[in-house]
Amino acid sequence: MDFSDRQTALSHDILMSIDKPSRYTGGEPNSVMKDDADIRFVMCFPDVYEIGMSHIGMQILYGMFNSMPDVWCERLFSPWTDLDRIMRERNIPLFSLESQQPVKTADFLGVTLQYEMCYTNILQIFELSGIPFYSADRTEDDPIVIGGGPCVYNPEPIADYFDIFYIGEGEVRYRELFDLYKRFKAENKSREEYLREASHIEGIYVPSLYEVTYDENGRFTEMTPRYEDVPARVKKQLVKNMDESFYPTAPVVPFIRATQDRAVIEVQRGCIRNCRFCQAGQIYKPVRERSPEQLKELAREILKNTGYEELSLSSLSTSDYTHLKELLDYLMEYCGEKKINISLPSLRIDAFSLDVMSKVQDIKKSSLTFAPEAGSQRMRDVINKGLTEEDILHGSEMAFKGGWNKVKLYFMLGLPFEEESDAVAIAELCNKVAGVYFDTVPKSERQGSVQITASSSFFVPKPFTAFQWAEMNTPEQFVEKAKITKAAVRAQLNQKRISYHYHDTGTTIIEGIFARGDRKVAKAIEYAYRHGAIFDAWTETFSYEGWIKAFEETGVDYKDYIFRVRDDDENFPWDFIDSGVNKSFLLREWHNAAKAQKSTNCRNQCMGCGAGAFGCGVCVE
Amino acid sequence: MSVTVRFKFMRTGPVRYLGHLDMLRYFQKAVMKAELDAKYTEGFHPHQIMSFAYPLGVGMETYGDYMDLEMNACEDAEALMGRLNAVMHEGIKVTGAVILREKALNAMAAVAEADYELVVTGDGKVSGDSEKKNAETVLTAAINELMARSEITGVKSGKNIRPGIRILECRRCKDYKGSNDEGADDYELRLVMRLSSGSKLNVRPADVFDKLCGTEAVNESGIRFKVTHLYRMEIYGNDKDGRIVALNDKTAE
Ligand code: SF4
Ligand code: SF4
Repeated sequence: MDFSDRQTALSHDILMSIDKPSRYTGGEPNSVMKDDADIRFVMCFPDVYEIGMSHIGMQILYGMFNSMPDVWCERLFSPWTDLDRIMRERNIPLFSLESQQPVKTADFLGVTLQYEMCYTNILQIFELSGIPFYSADRTEDDPIVIGGGPCVYNPEPIADYFDIFYIGEGEVRYRELFDLYKRFKAENKSREEYLREASHIEGIYVPSLYEVTYDENGRFTEMTPRYEDVPARVKKQLVKNMDESFYPTAPVVPFIRATQDRAVIEVQRGCIRNCRFCQAGQIYKPVRERSPEQLKELAREILKNTGYEELSLSSLSTSDYTHLKELLDYLMEYCGEKKINISLPSLRIDAFSLDVMSKVQDIKKSSLTFAPEAGSQRMRDVINKGLTEEDILHGSEMAFKGGWNKVKLYFMLGLPFEEESDAVAIAELCNKVAGVYFDTVPKSERQGSVQITASSSFFVPKPFTAFQWAEMNTPEQFVEKAKITKAAVRAQLNQKRISYHYHDTGTTIIEGIFARGDRKVAKAIEYAYRHGAIFDAWTETFSYEGWIKAFEETGVDYKDYIFRVRDDDENFPWDFIDSGVNKSFLLREWHNAAKAQKSTNCRNQCMGCGAGAFGCGVCVE
Repeated sequence: MSVTVRFKFMRTGPVRYLGHLDMLRYFQKAVMKAELDAKYTEGFHPHQIMSFAYPLGVGMETYGDYMDLEMNACEDAEALMGRLNAVMHEGIKVTGAVILREKALNAMAAVAEADYELVVTGDGKVSGDSEKKNAETVLTAAINELMARSEITGVKSGKNIRPGIRILECRRCKDYKGSNDEGADDYELRLVMRLSSGSKLNVRPADVFDKLCGTEAVNESGIRFKVTHLYRMEIYGNDKDGRIVALNDKTAE
């Protein structure tokens, strides 16, 4: 089929008047055109094209859905503010990239929820599509709106906007949802009947079928199904055997430069490390590896089908992949011949990784990366970060001997049980790393000098972590701590070699509210959106004051979600999700954190978190 | 040892909204997919040695653009064209390939002139046959008016671009190739231009169009013309005697 005469939804005049028009015209290599399919599924990543197209999860589902003959999956991203304005002025309905047809006429609108700060963008998508914001207001003329991705581990702040949430990994249950849809459509059943029946599928959460109660202070008490046939708990879905699950060998290749402009192979899913602040580490449990044989084949296929000049490995913690050496040896040879670059994820610094890095990167230009997350050993015990000072200093020494002289260090501030001395310790650790350089590299061999870049983000407690009970710092406390660190950096002997940055506090607070809020938050999001909030993940469009006003105007007690330690036995809005990891395990970890007591990792010793019940991955190794 | 192969290509349809760098990235990937024996730079991040005669602006379509690729070796340029087209995507196609002789100028330096066709309409006023005829009359008058001047100042460059306008005509066209189809009423109006290009005097078709819109003839008519398609039809260089030849002509400098 030749689609070069494809009509674009936007006129030439409009396309010529906006930034990066090819964000909106589709037709990229490996994008899928179909003439006809029973189900048209529009998959939306609610941020700009370049960011959404870099997301491997979306490529997996896009490829998988389009491999089904009766499903046509199309893509949709947030129109940037320039096009947004034009579409409103001229009443142009939002369209999907492939068919360039209105989103509203699709059967499903799937929204991938990768970070909380995209929530207002979802409302933009609805509004420009002509789809009502609230599930309750939608009719048979609207697509079924499904949310998926990590944010669904507390979907409550946006629960009223969605017809369905899919809890867990998308590979598993969509076929059932589609079959049910086709059957009910043929039988002329209503949207309501479909949603009710869908709630019986494992992993499917239909928010409208649950009743939420609050106590006299408006604090969440419990959530119960409205009907007997609707399950009280929704179980996370996961792929048990990675080698047997779908992986796209011909991903869509963007024309314009995406944030990740390279071929990606996912080496494993999950993480063994149990860092207490980390949500990904818990919700993707247990770690499941792909076989090196499959990964080699995937790499070859993907490179052949895309023409990418760069390959990268994706996982939460690639150094823990048990066949890493075998895989990298192979890839280095294969890619070397074909002049394909390998971009390494941040590997744990040791002799092996330094050797690999020296082969694939220009040492002079590249930097070492450590993510100790906290400055003091006590704090690293609190958060259960296995990386020790010894690891960092020894790793740096090896690297400095090998010719590196740039080091990046990532920290967090505002962690539970943090004290002033912990903020100072960040500076001291940086100073020690610089000191190692001066002790290791003789003056005559120094090229330039050592450069330490340290940055700290502010900690946000997330559901399904040991810190889901924790209190968040206020913006003032965050800034105060960052100032302590900054002053401490200035007081160090090697201060000239260290540069220190910290993140924005405003977005952190709003993210914290969305992370652990309940259903009441939805009206504040709507208020903020109606008063101009959009692209909140982008500093140039974010307004903290606007958000605080939104909570105040809608009577949402946002402080109660974040600025208090939650009781051990408090019910959480997200407790209805069965993530496999038991709340009792997380609570134990929370108490261990209070005692600054380290735990172990899944490969050293199983901690009986509960995920073993899935019967796969590291739990059965 | 290496040889340079010059590919001629077209791009039409929605891919016209790609920028120049996107085209470069697109072709680099195509060369990878087609597994051509391209030459690479040395170092940690080797890349292909690829250059274009004339960057394609966002929105422009082409039937005659050129890309040079350095290869380790090449016996049969036509075969490469086939291999590239096998991995091409909608709207972009290679239409020719020649091995450059050794001392040939690189594509960018060789550019002397280029042909363009602009499909024009006017704010809803140029749809019916009589309106089109009127618009044609207006444009023809505008062209005569403009070409009668000895000096036309370029919008960006400030230079006199008049000597760089080699051909400027208004034609009725039915198909892409600019054949003059007298009598048919489903035709569209096209401005056909040949303009100086390259480092000495570079005239952009949009500049000429803007100048036409500023003529008395157009002002008096009240029609607000706009361009819906902008095609580059061919790019030319010079042969050793200074004659104009297509960039893939064997005699091009
Ligand atoms: S190593 Fe720690 S922070 Fe990183 S993914 Fe694993 S659990 Fe999370
Ligand atoms: S059951 Fe044990 S091995 Fe499995 S994820 Fe939990 S702690 Fe790790």
